[in-house]
Amino acid sequence: MKQWILLICLVLISVPALAGQQRLYIYNWTEYMPDEVLTAFQEKTGIKVIYATYDSNESMYAKVKLTRGKGYDVVFPSTYFVHKMRKEGLLSPIDHEALSNFKHLDPALMDQPYDPGNKYSIPYVWGSTALAYNNNQVAPEMMTSWKDLWRPEFKNRLVMNDDLREVLGIGLIVNGFSVNETDPDRIHAAYESIRTLMPNIRVFSGDSPKQPLLNLEAFAGMIWNGEAYMAAQEFPAIQYAYPEEGAIFWVDSMVIPTGAENKKQAHAFIDFILDPQIALQVCEYIGYAPANQSAIALMPEEIKNNPTIFPDPEEVKKGEFQTDVGDAILVYERYWERLKTGM
Amino acid sequence: MNERQGFKFIAVFLNMAWFAVFVLVPGLMVVGISFMTRDTGTFFSPPLTLTQYRELLDPVYAKVLGASLIYSLNTTLLCLCISYPFAWILSRVSKHRRPLLLMMVIIPFWTSSLIRTYALVILMKANGIINTLLSAAGIISEPVTLLYTDFAVYVGLVYSLLPFMILPLYAVMEKMDLRLLEAARDLGANTCQVFVHVVLPLSLPGVLAGCIMVFLPAMGLFYVPDLLGGAKTMLMGNFIKNQFLTAMNWPFGSAASVFLLLLMGLMIIIYFTFSRRFNRHQAL
Repeated sequence: MKQWILLICLVLISVPALAGQQRLYIYNWTEYMPDEVLTAFQEKTGIKVIYATYDSNESMYAKVKLTRGKGYDVVFPSTYFVHKMRKEGLLSPIDHEALSNFKHLDPALMDQPYDPGNKYSIPYVWGSTALAYNNNQVAPEMMTSWKDLWRPEFKNRLVMNDDLREVLGIGLIVNGFSVNETDPDRIHAAYESIRTLMPNIRVFSGDSPKQPLLNLEAFAGMIWNGEAYMAAQEFPAIQYAYPEEGAIFWVDSMVIPTGAENKKQAHAFIDFILDPQIALQVCEYIGYAPANQSAIALMPEEIKNNPTIFPDPEEVKKGEFQTDVGDAILVYERYWERLKTGM
Repeated sequence: MNERQGFKFIAVFLNMAWFAVFVLVPGLMVVGISFMTRDTGTFFSPPLTLTQYRELLDPVYAKVLGASLIYSLNTTLLCLCISYPFAWILSRVSKHRRPLLLMMVIIPFWTSSLIRTYALVILMKANGIINTLLSAAGIISEPVTLLYTDFAVYVGLVYSLLPFMILPLYAVMEKMDLRLLEAARDLGANTCQVFVHVVLPLSLPGVLAGCIMVFLPAMGLFYVPDLLGGAKTMLMGNFIKNQFLTAMNWPFGSAASVFLLLLMGLMIIIYFTFSRRFNRHQAL
């Protein structure tokens, strides 16, 4: 199946601009942009959009890396993949002058360590990974710190993301370290902590951590805020809580790979997405906070004041953004294998 | 070359070309990469080495492989126990009822197995169909834990692979000469003896084929333990995927794939040796 998609893409690329029509190749997360936005862009600019999707940063990275990004014009990597791809020269600089809507971006999310000065990336949406619980079973005061996950009452009742950086990240946080630790001794300490958490873990969820909470299989756990927001709409007992040590934050950004062939059109698309009305439309569809302060101003009060989508700035300051850990990922992977084989 | 031969030639050539391009070449690339060194810049780089294979000796990977083998083995045995009587009945019901029963085995497989696995989640979750019915009937007061257990994993694997066991068994049982069974009875064998000395040996090729067809895919269906078992155990499939995507250790992931390939090749060789010996035996 994948080979076919690749083959079709190659055929499409090798037929250069049929009838001189301008094209734009977008590579995005699944269910991360409404179709109406793409149609509106095509109607406004006459640029034909070819849209492909991925389900993890890792698979997106492998493809962009192998082709040097040739064949994709706009890609949406998360925080530490921007860092990694920038360091490896896979990203092309973005001309801020070409973006008339640049001024709408939220300064709080700009100029982060993963891309100082936003030379290579423009934030799209952002969110956090923090605690979730079902308030029919769990009192709010039982869920104030990452350490609460270790409570004996939660034996076999937690849902965790099936993501080694995030799970071992919690181990690092409770030991007082950074989630971006590269020191093997500290990662080992995190592993030792998570090992004692294993009896509480009911399920590692790779696709949708809200499901075990909605299914009543898990009473608490870690979750992305967008998932928690959607879960609460379906089942209001699901609550989202920022732990006192601070949550893990991430931003998904728009970037242009070095090998992109339609850089001008890519800038036009990024500028279109930064339009507050369009950013609002995106947020209403995917349920994550836009990196666009003018769009937030247009929102109804109940969404604007929802702490799940928009945390208190104090919470953001306490939290930490993930960055690339380089070869230390091998150490993380080793300990992850040990956790999952019960060693 | 006449027209018929020409057609044959094209059909064979197309198949061979297809396998060469999409199976043989990628396979050889995997073998090649498994002897290289990890490189974050290009995924793998030249210095040839056996390090990857030496690292596979780490007890962690023995546990990963062991867990995968145990799931596959138990699934095969469960499938065999369920399918054997079913295939027997299927081959003995009247001829005009058989197509209906066969259709009932095959129809669920028109849907993607991933979708059927999600359907099992809806059945088994704490507020799912089974628990709701049981508590409505007053049989239970607290929901029974079904989902995210080994039980759920086996339900999923057996459900997904059952037809691969039923169909080869049915094929041999349907062809079985019933006069042999009558002869055995006439010679004084009881039901048990007829089964052990006549039915079982005659159905053995079907049993072997079914076991191979269930065992090998069971090693690869790692999304079933992920979705129904809660992803708490690492299996070969998860492990290889993690090596390629997360750790970006392509040579190590390739070495594990080559190892798995050899293991499966070995099983197929064993299967062919057995079936050849069996056929010769039967011919005598």
